[in-house]
Amino acid sequence: MSTDTSTTPGASSGSLLRRGGWRLERRLEVKPWHEVVTLVGAFIVGLALCSILIAAADKSVIDSYRALFDGALGSRRAIYETLVQATPLVFTGLAAAFAFRARVWNIGGEGQFFAGAMGAFFVSDLWSAHLPRGVMVPVLFIAAAATGALWASIAGVLKARYDTNEIITTVMLNFIILLILSYLLGDLWRSPDTFYFQTVTVPESAHLPLMIDGSRLHWGFGIAVAMAVVVNVVLRRTALGYEVRGVGINRTAGSYKGISVPRVTVLVMAISGALAGLAGAAEFAGVHHRLQLDISNNFGFVGIIIALIGRLHPAGVVVSAIAFGALVNGAVTMQIQTGIPAALVDVIQGLSLIFVLTGAVAVRYRLQRTRTDD
Amino acid sequence: MNGPGAHSVLLRASGVTKRFPGVVANDDITLEVQRARVHCLLGENGAGKSTLADLFYGVHEPDEGVIELRGEPIHMVSPRDAIAAGIGMVRQHFELVTPMSVLENVVIGTRGEAKVDLRTARDRLAELCDLYGVEVDLDTPVGDLAVGQQQWVEILKALYLGCEVLILDEPTAVLTPEGIERLFATLRRMASEGLTIVLITHKLHEVMEISDDVTVLRRGRVVRTSLTSEVTMDDLTRMMVGRDVDLDIDVAEASRGDLVLDVSGLDVATESGRGSLKQVSLVVHEREILGIAGVSGNGQDALFDVLVGMRLADAGRILVDATDVAEFSPADRLEIGIASVPADRIHQGLMMDFRISENLILGRQRSRRFGRRGWLNQKDIGEFANESFTDYDIAAPSPAHVTRVLSGGNLQKIVMARELAGQPRLLVVHQPTRGLDIGATEYVRQRLVEERDRGAAILLISEDLDELLNLSSRIAVMFDGRIVGEVDRRDATIDRIGMWMAGVSGAPGEAPP
Repeated sequence: MSTDTSTTPGASSGSLLRRGGWRLERRLEVKPWHEVVTLVGAFIVGLALCSILIAAADKSVIDSYRALFDGALGSRRAIYETLVQATPLVFTGLAAAFAFRARVWNIGGEGQFFAGAMGAFFVSDLWSAHLPRGVMVPVLFIAAAATGALWASIAGVLKARYDTNEIITTVMLNFIILLILSYLLGDLWRSPDTFYFQTVTVPESAHLPLMIDGSRLHWGFGIAVAMAVVVNVVLRRTALGYEVRGVGINRTAGSYKGISVPRVTVLVMAISGALAGLAGAAEFAGVHHRLQLDISNNFGFVGIIIALIGRLHPAGVVVSAIAFGALVNGAVTMQIQTGIPAALVDVIQGLSLIFVLTGAVAVRYRLQRTRTDD
Repeated sequence: MNGPGAHSVLLRASGVTKRFPGVVANDDITLEVQRARVHCLLGENGAGKSTLADLFYGVHEPDEGVIELRGEPIHMVSPRDAIAAGIGMVRQHFELVTPMSVLENVVIGTRGEAKVDLRTARDRLAELCDLYGVEVDLDTPVGDLAVGQQQWVEILKALYLGCEVLILDEPTAVLTPEGIERLFATLRRMASEGLTIVLITHKLHEVMEISDDVTVLRRGRVVRTSLTSEVTMDDLTRMMVGRDVDLDIDVAEASRGDLVLDVSGLDVATESGRGSLKQVSLVVHEREILGIAGVSGNGQDALFDVLVGMRLADAGRILVDATDVAEFSPADRLEIGIASVPADRIHQGLMMDFRISENLILGRQRSRRFGRRGWLNQKDIGEFANESFTDYDIAAPSPAHVTRVLSGGNLQKIVMARELAGQPRLLVVHQPTRGLDIGATEYVRQRLVEERDRGAAILLISEDLDELLNLSSRIAVMFDGRIVGEVDRRDATIDRIGMWMAGVSGAPGEAPP
């Protein structure tokens, strides 16, 4: 070997470098419409790639997606059902988005969902026979928010006091609460008239009223959208929201200017946990009316995806939660009509997430034509 | 190749224009860089120097115009093309793999071979070091080197890749005075060996000291290219800013008032021991600026942090108006009127993704001035932002814009506007003009003097001796965590302060009682 590791210049000038095409340049400013285009684009690309899977399974792509669409949004009933599916996702999506805004990585939405559902059941079990619905429902929501917040605060305090990695603690807390729940369902809380791990159905006064009579659409959806508005107002209009965003952007500068990062961390974790807890209350009081081990369809985890796809903005969370509610809902119809497994929706979800995350980086750049004139 | 003529043009830009959204960074630039000479690009921040360098290095492509190398137009799509053509560049932000050794970092940039012969590479590198008088241990992990040393690694990388033109973007910003001397000596040697050097700077004396040719840029345009020997510093200043400036601010000595800050016996330990504080005592009065001189890394960071509450002292007391604030949190200290301008405005002072108006209230988001009961009053925040824009002449499209888009000078104006708004009792300032252009520097210094005259006690930590001699009422010098000397401004000489900075203490004439 010789010293040819060093490229000798001079020999290669001019012509070698004459190359046409495109290049990426960093944008100075990313406009909101760039983000919207990314979001919609990612979703479409996700669907498009899944059509390859459908085609590979020898099914008609058009028929499949028509069935998916019909099931999701094709009728009034389908739309209501889509919103029912979206409701817990709006809450858990908000929970994740709020925490992530402060760069607090709460992965424990699933556990906090259970904590919330348990809190809601506990007070309903205790008081629903004695309280009217107008009192019982608010009480059970408050209880759910409190238990969700409490459960998340364990990780929040550990992080604030001992700098424990909250990703690890929140995930571990997910396991713990699920074990506690299965113990309770097998013992103290088990309905006496069943062998299943489930509680009794609570009395009507602990049921959420319906938004639309004759459908399953309950007021949980209304509350979820209202919470999205509240979260947005908190983030934009309050000193707390200012500090939450600030800690997320630059916690060093925040500390220099007197923001207590530990305090904000604990608060963020608690509020995030409360939001996830509300999801548990909505599913309990709006859909199942009792506790069971499968009360969550991975809502806590899907909420993380929803938050990321929604670019951590409350409005984005609502939109992407409804989009995924539609997918989940439509997938059932698609499976019935075409035999394509509903699990395909998970693939679409995953692919969309990948493209949104890619898009989030890509959107900071723009393509520019390189000049080829001579 | 061209003949050996002493004045052959190696690199040429003709009619080069580069636009970014909302700005024309380079506007019809035409300039020639002669072979084997040191050519300075001089201009204020935002004048378009770095953009021009990026065009030479293939980071950007010109929207109009042509770049020629050895008389032939070249189209560069990426730095790879520039390197292949023989253009090397040391950018302001280094691109090094810190856990890897110097040798590995240099070799990592070579391409085209699956296996690199480290021994050959080492020999060649040693040869280069020898040729140009560069002293770096090739086996040290880059992360263990001081920033100034890391810059040498970047230079070696460019040399190793066989550059004929070496572009350096503000290389002296990270160097000590001796480091600058060494760099300049090496650059001269490189030029005499036939390398062509393009040096970007906004410091006039550097231009005078090192360059053969100088091109002054202002607002994206070339003002003029001259032989350095044919211009004076005054000429260059006028070309740079388009008017006469006076950096020597008249500090008509105000009579100092009551004692505000009284620090005694302050100890702060650090893990490595570097940059700790040992028994630091100092006082600052109303209408007084105490300057803290010292080579960086001698405890200035710790002093700043311990005064604003980011670090707690292990021992000692910090009296502000006779209240011991040593245990106060940063928020408590803001409350009692301690304002601060940190050295690193981007990381310590600002939220780059906040709106400008939001940054202007950082630290006061819970004050009555901007809201009630935890709610922010957008109207008050907007009004304050508009006032600040006017008072501080902040150049930005609007207060609602994201802070990230601003230049260094404007970022510092935001910090100053925010910190001075509360009429602080004590102002702790760290390197307030580092990286700023002349216009902004003049402005910041003027503001500090005004603040002093208003009645504030100011502690000014700076590595810029001219700045200290200019603004301070008294100057204390830090070395190895101690105050090794203090002198009244009237008696201060560069020689004496320089001795203290080098660690020679006990010189006569310490602070008069």
